[in-house]
Amino acid sequence: MAEVRVTDLHKHFGAVHAVRGINLDIPDGEFTVLVGPSGCGKSTLLRTIAGLEEITEGEIAIGGDVVNDMRPRDRDVAMVFQDYALYPHMTARANIGFGLRARKMPQAEIDQRVGRAAAMLGINGLLDRYPRQLSGGQRQRVAIGRAIVRNPKVFLFDEPLSNLDAQLRDEMRGEIKRLHQEIDTTMIYVTHDQIEAMTLADRIVLMRDGVIEQQGAPLDLFERPVNRFVAGFLGSPKMNFIPAKLMREDGDRIILSDGISLALPRGRLSTNAAPTDVLLGLRPEHISRAGGEPMVAGTARVDATVDLLQPTGSRTFATFSLGGVPVIAELQAHDVSRVGEKIPLVLNLDRASIFAADSEKAL
Amino acid sequence: MAGSATAVGTISGGRHLPSARQSDRRFKWLLVAPAALLILAISIYPLLFSIWVLFVNYDFQIPGHAFVGLKNFSQVIFDPVARYSLWVTVVLSVINVTIEFILGLAIAMALAKTFRGRGVIISILIVPLFISPVIVGQVWVLMLHNPFGPTNYLLGQLLGYDVTIKWLTQFPWNFVALILADVWQWTPFMFVILLAGLTSIPPHVYEAAELDGVGPWLTFWNITLPYLAPMIFLAITFRLLDAVRLFDTIFIMTGGGPGTSTYSASFYLYTIGFTQFHLSRATAGAWIFMVLTLLVIIFLVRRLLKAETR
Amino acid sequence: MTPAVKRPVRRSRLSRTPIWRILFLTVFIIFVLAPLYWVFVTSIKPSDDYLAIPPVWYPDQPTIIHYTAALFDYRGLNGLINSLIISVAATFLSCLFGTLMAYSLARFNTGGQHLSFWVLSQRFLPPIAIVLPIFLNYRALGLNDTHIGMILAYTVFTLPVSVWMMFAYFRGMPRSLEEAALVDGCTRWTSFWRVAVPLAAPGIVAAAVFTFIACWTEFFFALVLTSRNAYTLPTVFRAFLSFQGAQYGEASALAIVSLVPSIVLGVLVQKHLVRGLTLGAIRG
Repeated sequence: MAEVRVTDLHKHFGAVHAVRGINLDIPDGEFTVLVGPSGCGKSTLLRTIAGLEEITEGEIAIGGDVVNDMRPRDRDVAMVFQDYALYPHMTARANIGFGLRARKMPQAEIDQRVGRAAAMLGINGLLDRYPRQLSGGQRQRVAIGRAIVRNPKVFLFDEPLSNLDAQLRDEMRGEIKRLHQEIDTTMIYVTHDQIEAMTLADRIVLMRDGVIEQQGAPLDLFERPVNRFVAGFLGSPKMNFIPAKLMREDGDRIILSDGISLALPRGRLSTNAAPTDVLLGLRPEHISRAGGEPMVAGTARVDATVDLLQPTGSRTFATFSLGGVPVIAELQAHDVSRVGEKIPLVLNLDRASIFAADSEKAL
Repeated sequence: MAGSATAVGTISGGRHLPSARQSDRRFKWLLVAPAALLILAISIYPLLFSIWVLFVNYDFQIPGHAFVGLKNFSQVIFDPVARYSLWVTVVLSVINVTIEFILGLAIAMALAKTFRGRGVIISILIVPLFISPVIVGQVWVLMLHNPFGPTNYLLGQLLGYDVTIKWLTQFPWNFVALILADVWQWTPFMFVILLAGLTSIPPHVYEAAELDGVGPWLTFWNITLPYLAPMIFLAITFRLLDAVRLFDTIFIMTGGGPGTSTYSASFYLYTIGFTQFHLSRATAGAWIFMVLTLLVIIFLVRRLLKAETR
Repeated sequence: MTPAVKRPVRRSRLSRTPIWRILFLTVFIIFVLAPLYWVFVTSIKPSDDYLAIPPVWYPDQPTIIHYTAALFDYRGLNGLINSLIISVAATFLSCLFGTLMAYSLARFNTGGQHLSFWVLSQRFLPPIAIVLPIFLNYRALGLNDTHIGMILAYTVFTLPVSVWMMFAYFRGMPRSLEEAALVDGCTRWTSFWRVAVPLAAPGIVAAAVFTFIACWTEFFFALVLTSRNAYTLPTVFRAFLSFQGAQYGEASALAIVSLVPSIVLGVLVQKHLVRGLTLGAIRG
């Protein structure tokens, strides 16, 4: 058990500057998810913590010890790989116990610990099989078993679920979350899947181009993104971005390009110095069909024509044109019946984000 | 004093583990070391040593190692047999590789589609690759023997008159014999590589061409050949660089003869060096030959490497 | 060789093999097999039969006397034993050193492209250019005509093959297994030895077979570097050169003794043949 501290970390691959000055403080026992689009440096960051990549500049400390020059084996971390990385020439039992044998632990204790880990993951019956005799989910469990049996200071996960099909992925996600609750060790988890990030994390670290865009509790990032990138990355379907003008004469107003004017709730904009060109960020779930109810403060009402319908069963995603761009709304299944229908919509401006059009930073 | 000692202590005494970076570096060079040292000792050092031999007299028939300048080179360069043997090497290599390529491509195309017995046929056809060239030469000596070999006899039966070709001693049949042996042994080399190339062409490309109504001739030129091009280049490069070494079959089949008429460059140098023991002259010739081949290597293999790393 | 891509069986005109193709293949198969048959049949013919016109296609009374003569009277047995010792030892060293180097090149890119190109270029240097200097040096060191000398020469001469075949093999193996081992508590060496090497075993076996065949069939180095003591099987054929036909039975018997083992080994690993021939440049 240990906290992990990353200070001013840089990593170059030849001319490529993959990690550009990362500072990260992960408290003991926290489940941290590194997330971002591919090539953002999240995997590289994880691998430098594991010791699989040399760092170019900066410092990594695990449990207070600087590990920059330590070999991976001396860092006391365990890692679960995307392709499981099970040794094909060893049984599941030998795979799980390999790290303990490499550290010359007595056989009796290895057996006992392997048994305990297997019980935890429900794979007791599979221990004498070879990896090729196991299904994807079972392999993943063995790979996790190989990590927990070592009882390391830190667990590292490198996109462990991306090779599984959707159903197994949901199941294993729950498993990993349960595991963290049971053993309560620091875990660092890399994924490009924002749903995995939201569901698993105590804290999300969202990266792009080798730097951290924002970090914090999942709902913090979701509700208060610092910029357009963060807002667009989290949530599915994505947040709608509508180009607009900001008027600040009597109360703040947003004017869309097709002339629609929306009054912003008082105090919604913190700064006084705001630009005129902005992007209005509205999540699909913050657009709903207007019923007969009275207007609530912080909402606005518009009429729009449905261009496209994508029913999912419980919900229907409807695409409208608003402010000159297509906008997706998440409606109740029976809110709309056909394309071309004109319906009244309620926009929840209380929950909307507003970004400067040029810097894309949240206002 | 005490203060500075403490400061040094905290910096260097913090950990005694070897830096991971350093140990990785040591590890990777340690792995390379045995092979690299062996190549240095057995291949590179003798080559460097031979540079000295180039400019002195190193000849078992003339005692002493006097400095002779460029005499060794001039003796080779102005030896008509040397130039003739180089010429023989180039011509034979080009003819051999060309025939092997065409035959190999034809066989590969005949075998590209799966059918029953294909595996067995392939296993049979690759057999010559695993036989020592000396033995291949010996086998063809038996086949072409006049008058006891089956070749002349069968040709006689076929043509209706007595065939008494002296395959190993009569121009141009001695060259035909050498080419036969080489083609017999190395056509499988071409065919194996080209077949691998052919089977890696995605079938749907052909299916698309068929749907578009493209004829077999156009398909061959516009689909098969472009797909195969890298493999063809590689196969011809590898084969050519081996073909110019031509020695073993000449040694067994014609002994370079009659006279010096089937001397290849390697055979010429071998004769100078190891039957006449003009080692310096042979070394000079070997260097010239090596530089000529190196030019080809650098040109062809560099391109291969680039194509591969792309 | 197993085809890399299984084509769907199509019932169109393409699935019928045209007659010219069958004809062509048949002729070529006969071209390949005839000499092999002839050398075999000569090896079991009584001496009168192979000096007969018309040729005897199969002897009435097959004999093995040429085999005993070739092995004992022409010292073929010594050559066989020498070939075996030298080929096995050189194969072992070449594959051991070759695997070590290939791993370093594949995983650490040691020496960049230069080192790997340098090793590869050894494969293409004309043997005459290397063997002359080696001969001179071996003479000074007393290594001419010794087993050690031949083993070292063959190790170096086959290193490009083993290095490049294993290089391609290691590059095709996922790194994550060795990385998992490193995190699990292995050193670089133990992750190589206990994880990478067992996984590369099929590749090492294939490389070993090709190395062995290269040593077993090599003639030129052996011709120059050996004489009475460490001579290998192929060089024994020199003995038959001057006799103009009289010793064809013995020569054929020796040829059969030499070519059978390498053919059997070669056909056994033919799955890896393309990689072997192209030093790993093509997967096959």
